[in-house]
Amino acid sequence: MAEPMSQVVASMPRGRFLALMALFLGPSVAVYTLFSIYPLIATMALATYTTDSAGAYAFVGLANFVTLLADSVWSKPFWNAAWNNLIFFAVHMAVQNPIGIALAGLLSLPGIRFKSLYRTAIFLPTMLSVVIVGFSWNLILSPLWGVAEGALKSVGLGGWFAPWLGLPSTALATLALISVWQFVGIPMMLIYAALLNIPDELVDAARVDGLGNFRIFWHIKLPLVLPTIGLVSVLTFVGNFNAFDLIYSVKGALAGPNFASDILGTFFYRTFFGYQLQLGNPTMGAAVATVMFFIILVGVCFYLFVIQRRMRRYAF
Amino acid sequence: MAKLHIDALNKSYGETKVLVDVDLAIEDGEFLVLVGPSGCGKSTLLRMIAGLDAPTSGDIYIAERKVNALAPAERRIAMVFQSYALYPHMDVLKNMTFGLKFTGVPAAERERRVAEAARMLRLEPLLKRYPRDLSGGQRQRVAIGRAIVREPDVFLFDEPLSNLDAALRVSTRVEIARLHRLLKATMVYVTHDQIEAMTLADRIVVMNQGRIEQVGKPLDLYYEPANLFVAGFIGSPAMNFFTGRVERIEGGEALVTGPCIGSVAVPAATFSPGDDLTLGVRPEHLGQGAGAFSTSGMVELVERLGEASFAHVRRADDRLMVAEIRGRDTPAPGESVTLSAPAQDIHVFDARGRRLAATPVNSA
Ligand SMILES: Nc1ncnc2c1ncn2[C@@H]1O[C@H](COP(=O)(O)OP(=O)(O)O)[C@@H](O)[C@H]1O
Ligand SMILES: [Mg+2]
Repeated sequence: MAEPMSQVVASMPRGRFLALMALFLGPSVAVYTLFSIYPLIATMALATYTTDSAGAYAFVGLANFVTLLADSVWSKPFWNAAWNNLIFFAVHMAVQNPIGIALAGLLSLPGIRFKSLYRTAIFLPTMLSVVIVGFSWNLILSPLWGVAEGALKSVGLGGWFAPWLGLPSTALATLALISVWQFVGIPMMLIYAALLNIPDELVDAARVDGLGNFRIFWHIKLPLVLPTIGLVSVLTFVGNFNAFDLIYSVKGALAGPNFASDILGTFFYRTFFGYQLQLGNPTMGAAVATVMFFIILVGVCFYLFVIQRRMRRYAF
Repeated sequence: MAKLHIDALNKSYGETKVLVDVDLAIEDGEFLVLVGPSGCGKSTLLRMIAGLDAPTSGDIYIAERKVNALAPAERRIAMVFQSYALYPHMDVLKNMTFGLKFTGVPAAERERRVAEAARMLRLEPLLKRYPRDLSGGQRQRVAIGRAIVREPDVFLFDEPLSNLDAALRVSTRVEIARLHRLLKATMVYVTHDQIEAMTLADRIVVMNQGRIEQVGKPLDLYYEPANLFVAGFIGSPAMNFFTGRVERIEGGEALVTGPCIGSVAVPAATFSPGDDLTLGVRPEHLGQGAGAFSTSGMVELVERLGEASFAHVRRADDRLMVAEIRGRDTPAPGESVTLSAPAQDIHVFDARGRRLAATPVNSA
């Protein structure tokens, strides 16, 4: 491919050209290196060391990773957290994104009143602090003073109530749904914007072809916004495998009951900083962080090289 | 194939009246062209026939059936859009058959219709391609093919050629005319291009600001425009207009004087002395030499097209008029010319812009 290059640049002395590049690219490269690349490499390096009781560092190669994945003292909580994280992600994919898509589809219908009111209301929780959201839902769902039980009773469903956040079988799913409630506005907004890009005449053509609103959405609009749905999915994946704050603010670092809501973020936190009786272990913590990085890297690469290449962006 | 009948149709968006009391009767198999300047309501009218917009008041009948309450797909119409509106994620074949599936056409019948349309439009080699791999002209043919396979009573076209380049526009225009002969279908075609209108139409509807100005055969509109708007809109370059005032009435003639026309006699009709009027002469009728009507000015510019040249002449009231000159002998810029026209080629419009049926008789 021929690189377009301006006459001014082409006629520039080489030294001047390099100086110009350094001027424009330098600042961002410097900031990115300092705050992203260096910490990443330092973390990976730290993961290959261990500390003795005196605090001296010794190089151990990949031994920390072997311990983490194979020694049952470490591997049991690690795999528990990884599995829980996968469930956390699956709930978002199965609930948050379909609801976001459906809401965007409804908002893009012609002749809906109070559109911007709905849009704002649904997007609002996204702007709240996770700590506040976690605290509020903790109160709402509390079996002692929460309003959830009373609300269910008032519609005759009192028998359905359970202390969802306290039961090992439901704590993780409940937390995931709280997160869905908070962040459903993001897929909705992204997909809504993509839907607005579809030309009106295309929708008119489908109506002349005999399709109703639902079929237009299913057969025309949805296939055309698939690239955006892919993007939303990968953002969800990265967000979920980096999640920490909601679990921490609702359940604390122990992610109870009995680690039922432990995900990689909380597991990393206990490992690195220590918690209650557990001592902090920076080198094992670095190993956990490195594994989390690779999980996300694999997921993103899968999206970039397998999914995204098969999807086509349509220019209208 | 069906009649289309539109009765007292109005459309307003809030306070804005987009269509005002539109009445229209379209014959079975007729090619009707809606023409008018941008924003005059052509697309709105077409979309209401299609059922994509609801009228504020008034009725639409297709094949004697009132369709106001019917969905687009139930009206037995097909529409071709300016932007083609092909489904970008479907190949040509799927684009053409997609709608048929939802209207319950069996697979064998779908295949037959697509094969026929593809043959008619020479689309066979393109059936497996996606819209992004087609040129503008090919896309437009696919869009027309998608309309044909619906076998509609009425075809609706909304400026189907305006996204094509000039050469393609001419050939696609010919194609559409051929299709109309072949299918004998009722077609309503919207354009702002009066050449498209003149070449394609059985009858033309000239619209302006939501109203119908005139309905008629192309040459009738050309030779007998109902009013100043139609006279100025149909014909290119446009008709030249000259203002004048009735001096006196004398023996069935009104003697008219004006800044650029000296004095001319026109049929007295209902004129009385002091009335304002407008005379119109087409460029092709303005010739050098003497005639019933004469005017003069200085040539500013000559456009040479070959079969004719257009001289743009600055007249006494500082406006430009255009005269068509045949042959190699054209005036040069800066030259003063006197132009004239025979009595039968002068159009007379009253103060409200309506054209008087008869033509002037004599020069005074
Ligand atoms: N949805 C709408 N809301 C308000 N005004 C509209 C709407 N659609 C069209 N109009 C107005 O109606 C007029 C006619 O539009 P249109 O039928 O598209 O014109 P044309 O096709 O003749 O160029 C324009 O002045 C346009 O601004
Ligand atoms: Mg239009």
